[in-house]
Amino acid sequence: MAIETQTQPEWRKDLQKVGFARRLLAGRRWYGADWWLVAISAVMVLAFIILALFPSLFANYGPDEQAGPRFLAPGARPDVPVLVSLASSGITELSDLEVPTGDPRPPVGVVRGVPTAQALNDQAQALNDQLSGTGTELRPRIARFDTLDEVLQAVADGTVVAAVVQSSEYEQLAGNYPTVAEGESLTGGVSSAGGFILGTNQIGQDVFSRLIWGTRIALLIGFSASIIALVLGVPLGLLAGFTGGILDRILSVIMDSLYAFPGLILAISITAVLGPSVLNVIVAIAVLYIPTYYRIVRGQTLSVKEELYVEAARSIGARSVEILRRYIFPNVIPSVAIIFSVNVADAILTGAGLSFLGLGLPPNTADWGIDLARGQGFIQTAWWLITFPGIAIMLVVLAFTMMGEGLMEIFNPKLRER
Amino acid sequence: MSPLSLIFLIIGVPALVGLIYIFVRGSAGLRRYIITRIALTLPMVFILASLVFFVLRVIPGDPVSSALGPKGSPETVARLNEQLGLNDPLIVQYARFLGSVVTLDFGNSLTGGHRPIVDEMSERFPATLELVIPAAIFSLVLGIFGGAFAASRRKRTADYSLRLYSVIIYSLPIFWLGLMLQLLFGVKLGWLPIAGRIDAVVGTTLHHITNIYSVDALLTGNWPALRSVLAHLVLPTLTLGLILSGVFVRLTRINVIETMQQDYVEAARARGIRERVVIYNHALKNAMIPVITLIGLQVAILLAGAVLTETVFSWPGMGRYLVERISSRDYTAVQSVITMFALFVALISLAVDIIYSLVDPRVRY
Repeated sequence: MAIETQTQPEWRKDLQKVGFARRLLAGRRWYGADWWLVAISAVMVLAFIILALFPSLFANYGPDEQAGPRFLAPGARPDVPVLVSLASSGITELSDLEVPTGDPRPPVGVVRGVPTAQALNDQAQALNDQLSGTGTELRPRIARFDTLDEVLQAVADGTVVAAVVQSSEYEQLAGNYPTVAEGESLTGGVSSAGGFILGTNQIGQDVFSRLIWGTRIALLIGFSASIIALVLGVPLGLLAGFTGGILDRILSVIMDSLYAFPGLILAISITAVLGPSVLNVIVAIAVLYIPTYYRIVRGQTLSVKEELYVEAARSIGARSVEILRRYIFPNVIPSVAIIFSVNVADAILTGAGLSFLGLGLPPNTADWGIDLARGQGFIQTAWWLITFPGIAIMLVVLAFTMMGEGLMEIFNPKLRER
Repeated sequence: MSPLSLIFLIIGVPALVGLIYIFVRGSAGLRRYIITRIALTLPMVFILASLVFFVLRVIPGDPVSSALGPKGSPETVARLNEQLGLNDPLIVQYARFLGSVVTLDFGNSLTGGHRPIVDEMSERFPATLELVIPAAIFSLVLGIFGGAFAASRRKRTADYSLRLYSVIIYSLPIFWLGLMLQLLFGVKLGWLPIAGRIDAVVGTTLHHITNIYSVDALLTGNWPALRSVLAHLVLPTLTLGLILSGVFVRLTRINVIETMQQDYVEAARARGIRERVVIYNHALKNAMIPVITLIGLQVAILLAGAVLTETVFSWPGMGRYLVERISSRDYTAVQSVITMFALFVALISLAVDIIYSLVDPRVRY
């Protein structure tokens, strides 16, 4: 033991003193840029995994919820009828205008020719129906004015108790009437506050929320397809590389043909046959990537098989299973891990391509590819529908690719020299 | 003569003449290599064709009734099944399918105009060629010069930015790049058309010979049509070409850097040849050899990209044909298109390998 320690370089001794986490941190001294690449991309990957696991924590709305008006531009506030009143009056919602039956009906101002009066009537009617028999009523008297300025002036003067105005128009004049405050909107769930930072789509769903929910399906497809391909490809590659002979020939010809064929087209035909479901997409994509693992593992097995230590193991009578397990498998695993990372990225891209073509996933899934395909029809008017899902795909793919790249540079010194 | 056979003649005859020339003039090793390579292509085509057949034949439900939909009466379904030979044992159907691959006669389509599939493909295939060939050339030029430039500026800003470019390009979904280009150049700036191959009005004046519109317009001297065709080509080509260029930048960069470390490059430098000449004349030439082999593999990416690009730009090529026929559940057509793709891939990789063996004498059997 003592002799061993003497022959080890200083930095290795330092390394052995610290824990695993510190060792990971210390790695940046030797790997520089690549260490940072892996670190940054690992954080990104982790963030996406958290998004995929707990989408409801980050998304304001459900994946299928019609949360607002249609085609709302990013950051824009929806134009809805809102209740405005004197800030000091304490009236913020319609039910504040309730009065005991028989009392004079409170006057509420609206602008002529704007559909706010209709919204006020409908909403008040609905609330009033609920109040029947309680001794109170909600029947505001509608007072019509010619311009928004007149309405707001009336509110400020106290001529009317409150007014119902379009939020977009009110915003422009709100500065002139400091004593007037905005209450709630009159269109049910849609608030004038908005909160649609990336806008809404053609059926009023929140683009940002759908992006978050889409992480789930993208990562599910990416990970599951790559794992299935790995589980099938690695043993086949080991077997072919280790045994050689006719089995190797046949497997290699099949795998090479599969590898050379355009993956997306193969996936298209498989999903076309299997029909739309998440599982079918996963199966179709998994088939594409079996050759990737097969080729890498077979190549590595072939070269490791010729190493002296394998020769030595064989000469002392180790069984084939033992050699595969103890000598070949551990040598093959690092490159498989690197390929896996790049592979997940690739599978996500292919999955997005499939759903963009309208194949594979059920039509209403919250998926980036589906959102892009639907948004394409509105390219002339709603740029945000086709911009953000693409950025999401790019970021996820970039994270996994960069991680693979960095790991390759770190663990494959031959490539690193290049 | 159908446009498809015309294209096959235009491409096939010179290729065959070239092959025979190589065969006669080449060394014994080269001859042996070419024979082996052709012999290896046949099982590849066979495996891919079989794969297509069996994957599409395990469809739950029968293709005819799903193609006809609720309109099809039981009698029509039975008659079509009989007519298409779908009642025969699987092995007979398989044999017939392999026969159709050899003769390239795929029968009539189940939906649409019930026209022969070969006729439909002879309209679609030229469109795909018109898109794919310029895109491949564009990406090769961009990729090779970009890669060589990055290698010559190793570990400097240009190198890092080109590497970053290739990683980002790799991560871009091709259909999204297409959409963004449409948004920028088509919608916001209004410079270029975003869908189709030619303006409808100009299109009526174009005389179709090969169905490759730019070639047709050139041959007939129809300049307004040529202008319209080229304008429609810009965005799809740019989309497909940019996506592919990332891989070529990477490959060329790595290979040029590797070649730069070899003795003969050092010797050229020692003789006082300028660095630029050393890189672009001495190093790049040899670095290109491994890049050429990888072109064969990029054909797969190119075709997959073409399917998506055609969908984004409503480009009536083979990819869109495939997607259209899948949604109309026309499995005869789907099967034929995928088989054509397989043939195309096999032939291209054969061609690339033969060219490679000419360039680099080391790779002969």
